[in-house]
Amino acid sequence: MSELTVNIGPQHPGSGHFRLIVKLDGDKIVEVIPDPGYVHRGDEKVSEYKNYIQNIPHFERPAILDASNMLFPYVHAVEDLMKLEVPVRGQYIRVIMAELNRIISHLYYFAIYGIFVGHSTMFMWPVADREHFIDLAQMISGQRVGFAFLLPGGVRNDIPEAVKERANEACNYFEKRLIEYERIFMNNPIFEKRAKGMGILSKEDAIKLGVVGPTLRASGVKSDIRKDEPYAVYDKLDFDIPVSKDGDSWARAWIHIEEMRQSMSIIKQALKDIPSGPVKLNLRGQIRPPPGETFSRAESSRGAVSFYLISNGGMTPYRLRMITPSFRNLRAISHITKGLLLADLPPAFWSLDYWPVEADR
Amino acid sequence: MNYVFKLFSAIKSGMKHLFMRRLTFRYPNQKLKFHGDGYQYDPKEGVGIAGYRGRHILYLEKCTGCSLCFMMCKGISQSIQMVILPEKEIPVNKKSSFPQIDYSKCVYCGFCVDACPFKALFETNEYEIVSYDRESLLFTPDQLAIKPKYKGKYELKYGKSGAYHG
Amino acid sequence: MSEIRTFPDFLKRLSIILGALVLLIIIIFGVLIYTIPAVSNFNDILLESIGNPIVMLDYLDSLGVGINSLFFKIAVFPGYTWAALIAAEVIWFERKFLAKMQLRVGPLYAGVIGGILQPIADVAKLIFKEMISPGKSDKLIFYSVPLLINAVGASLLAVLPVSDGWLIMRSDVSMLIVFAVIGFVPISVLLAGWASNSKFPFVGALRGLHQMIAFEVSMLIAALSVVLLSGSLDLVNIVQAQSSVWFIVLMPIGAVVFFITLLAELERIPFDLPEAESEIVMGYLTEYSSMAFGNIQLGTYIRFYALSGIFTTLFLGGWHGPQFLPAGFEIVNQVEWFTLKTLLVMVIIIILRGVNPRFRIDQLLRFGWSRLLVLAFLNLFIALLILEMNWFPFSGGI
Repeated sequence: MSELTVNIGPQHPGSGHFRLIVKLDGDKIVEVIPDPGYVHRGDEKVSEYKNYIQNIPHFERPAILDASNMLFPYVHAVEDLMKLEVPVRGQYIRVIMAELNRIISHLYYFAIYGIFVGHSTMFMWPVADREHFIDLAQMISGQRVGFAFLLPGGVRNDIPEAVKERANEACNYFEKRLIEYERIFMNNPIFEKRAKGMGILSKEDAIKLGVVGPTLRASGVKSDIRKDEPYAVYDKLDFDIPVSKDGDSWARAWIHIEEMRQSMSIIKQALKDIPSGPVKLNLRGQIRPPPGETFSRAESSRGAVSFYLISNGGMTPYRLRMITPSFRNLRAISHITKGLLLADLPPAFWSLDYWPVEADR
Repeated sequence: MNYVFKLFSAIKSGMKHLFMRRLTFRYPNQKLKFHGDGYQYDPKEGVGIAGYRGRHILYLEKCTGCSLCFMMCKGISQSIQMVILPEKEIPVNKKSSFPQIDYSKCVYCGFCVDACPFKALFETNEYEIVSYDRESLLFTPDQLAIKPKYKGKYELKYGKSGAYHG
Repeated sequence: MSEIRTFPDFLKRLSIILGALVLLIIIIFGVLIYTIPAVSNFNDILLESIGNPIVMLDYLDSLGVGINSLFFKIAVFPGYTWAALIAAEVIWFERKFLAKMQLRVGPLYAGVIGGILQPIADVAKLIFKEMISPGKSDKLIFYSVPLLINAVGASLLAVLPVSDGWLIMRSDVSMLIVFAVIGFVPISVLLAGWASNSKFPFVGALRGLHQMIAFEVSMLIAALSVVLLSGSLDLVNIVQAQSSVWFIVLMPIGAVVFFITLLAELERIPFDLPEAESEIVMGYLTEYSSMAFGNIQLGTYIRFYALSGIFTTLFLGGWHGPQFLPAGFEIVNQVEWFTLKTLLVMVIIIILRGVNPRFRIDQLLRFGWSRLLVLAFLNLFIALLILEMNWFPFSGGI
C-alpha cells in the first residue's frame, strides 16, 4: 500500500499554529514530522533593544496563558546579577500569582482536549470555571490576561483585602467541580477507551528525549523544579508532586487534575502564612545589572522554562536566551504518534500540552 | 458491567447541572463591578495601588511635560506621543507638551503610570473603547482628561446551587 | 431603505413584507369574489362559519381535504407539517437543554421568551446565503441529496402508528417498509460524499457508510425478536400486542441494543464520526451551503423524530396509556401518549449527547460487529424461549 503524505497545516481545526507533515498508510500513521516556525517573531533579538523593565510585557507574550510563570526565571536572573534580596511578602504574592496562572492554563488544556475528543460539555465547563480564577487575578494585578505583575525587586502592587475571602470561596467551589470533571470526563468509559493505552511514552524514552513537565511526570520520573531547586518560598510550603507510571494520554490528563488540586492547596497556605511588610524594593527605576552572565530555571505549567542572561552593564540586555518547555517536548510528538490512527492525532499531541507560540518564540 | 455504572455516573453528573445556576454574564445588560478606582502609582513609596488597568486619565494641571511616559512606552508598544498644545497655559508645563495615547496600540500594561513622578497619569475602570475607524482611537490630552463614567454592579457570587453573576 | 443591523430590524422588515402580501391577497380575493362564482360560494361559507365552524368542516370534507381525509393526514397532522414543527422545536429545545447542562444560556434574544424564534432566524439566515457547489462536482446528484433525505424522513412518517384507527397508512408489512427505507440512508450519505468531489467529504462518507452498515444488522435482529413475540409485521398489531405488558419489560437487552443502533443510524454523539469536526471539517456535509444544508438538517431531524417513534412503537407500548380525557376522545388520548413517549426518547438521546465524547472508527466498528451482534442474538434467543414456553399469551395474527 503506497504512502500518502498529508499536511495538517496551520489552518486546520485540529492543529495549533504549526504544521504537521503526516505520512499515512491507509488510516495508520507511519511518521509525523512537526514543522514549527510559523509564529517565529524573533523574541530574543527584539529583547536586545528594550530595557529591563520594557522587557517584562515582552516576555510574557509567548505563553500569555501562564504569563507570570514565564517571568519568574527572568526576574530571578536579573536579581541574581544585581544581588537583590526580594522582601518575603513580595515572594509570597509571586507564588500566589504563579499558582493561579497554573490553574488557568491547565483549565484551558482541558477545554481544548474536550474539543478534540468531541466532548462539548468538557469545553464549556473549564472555560466557565476559568472565570473565577481570572477574576481573582484581575483583583490582584489589574488585568485579566496580560498581567505584567512581576518586577525585578518584587511585585508591582499589594493585594487588596477582599482577595483572601474570595480566594477561599473560589477554591472551595472549584474543589467540588473537580469531582464533577472526574465523573463526566476522566472516568467516562468512552474517554477511557480513547485515551488509555494511547500515545505511550516509556520512562527510558522520556529521559532520553529530554521532555519536561507533566509529560515527564506522567512517565514515572519524579522531577519538579519547585522541589529540586526551590525558588521563591516554595521550600516553606507543603505540597506533593503527582507521578504516574503509565505514560499514556490518560495519565497526562490525570496529572493535570492532580496538579490543580495541589495548586489550590498552595494558594490557601500562602494566603494564610503571608507576613506583612513591603512588597517591592524601591530601585527608583534604575535596573542596570553589572556585567556578568547567569542562568535560572522555573517550573511553568508546561514544564521547565530557562533563561540565560548575558549583560554588559548597559541599559538593555546583551543577550537573552529563552528555552521554553514546548520546544523541549517537540521531539516527543514524532515519538508517541507512531502506529496511531489518524483520528487519534489531535488528542495525542495536545496531551503533551504543546503550545506553538511558546515553542517558536 | 463496570462500564454501565461509570456511564450512569456520568449521566447523573450531567443531570445534576440542570439544577445549578447559570454562569453566563449578560453584557451589556450586566456590567462588572471592579474594586477600587483604577490602577494608581505612588512615586514616593515606589509601589502601585491595586486597581483595574483600563483607559488612562490625565490630570492636566499636574502634567509637566517631562515625557517619561513617552520614553517608557517607546520600548513596549509606542502608543504615547507627546504633542504641543500652545493654547493651554499650565504653570508647571513650560513647553505645553502633553501626551496623547493611541488605543489601537496600547497593551494596558500600566508602566507609563509607574513612570510618572508627578501623579498626573493614572488608569481608570473604563474599558469600552470602540469605534468604527482607527483615527478616533487616538485620544488627545483633552479626551484623556475626561473623568470616567463607568458604573458596574455585578460581580461573581457563590451561592448554594452554584456560582452566578449577581 | 434602512439597513438591517439587529434581529428586531429584521422582524420589522419581515412584517412590512408580510403586511404588503396580506393586503395584496385581500385585494385579489375581493376582485375574485365578484367575478368567479366558486370563490363567491367559498366566501359565503366563510362568513357563515364564523359562528358555526361545522359548516366549514363539512365544506372541506366535500372538497376532499377534511380532517379524516388522506390529504390532511399526510400534509398537516400527523404528517409533514407536524413533523417539521416538532423538528424545529426540538432544535430549539436541544440547544437550550444542552446550554443548561453546560451552565450557560442558549439562544436568548430571538423571540419573546428565551429565543424561541431562533430556528426561524436560522432558516431566514440560510435562505439569504448563496448556494454554491464545488466546481467539478456532479450537480444533479449533489442537489438531489437534500430531496432524498427529506423523502426518507417523510416515508418513515407514513407508517408511524399514532393511534388505533386514525393513521396515515396501515399495511401488513410496515416493518419491512421501515427497514427498506432505513436502507436508503447510507445511499444518501455515499451520494453526498461522492458528488462533492473533494477529500474531506469523501472520507466522511466512507466512515458514515461503515458505521451504518455495521449497526443495521443488530437493529434488524433486535426488531426481529419483537416481530417474533407479537407474531406480525404490522406495526399496529405490534402495538396491540403490548396492551398488557410492554416489550421493554420482556426484552430489556433488545431495547438497549435497538437504542444504541438508533444513535448510530442518526449519527448522534457518541457515534457522530462522519461529522467529526476536529479532523474532517464537517464530513460529508462540508460542501453544502444555504438551503441545501437547511433541508438536510430538517430531513435529519424529521428522521430523528420518526425513528424515535419506531422505538416507541416497538418497545414502549405505542399509544397505550391511561385515559385522562373524557370518553369520545380516545383517539386524541392515544395520539397524545404516543407523542409524549416519543419526545421522552428524544430527550434521553439529547442527554446522552451532552455527557459523552466521540468514539474512534475502529472502536466503533469493533463494538458494532462483535459486542452488539452478540447481545442481539442473545436477545433473539430469549425471545424464542419466551415464545416456546408460552409465557407471553398473545397470539395475534400472522
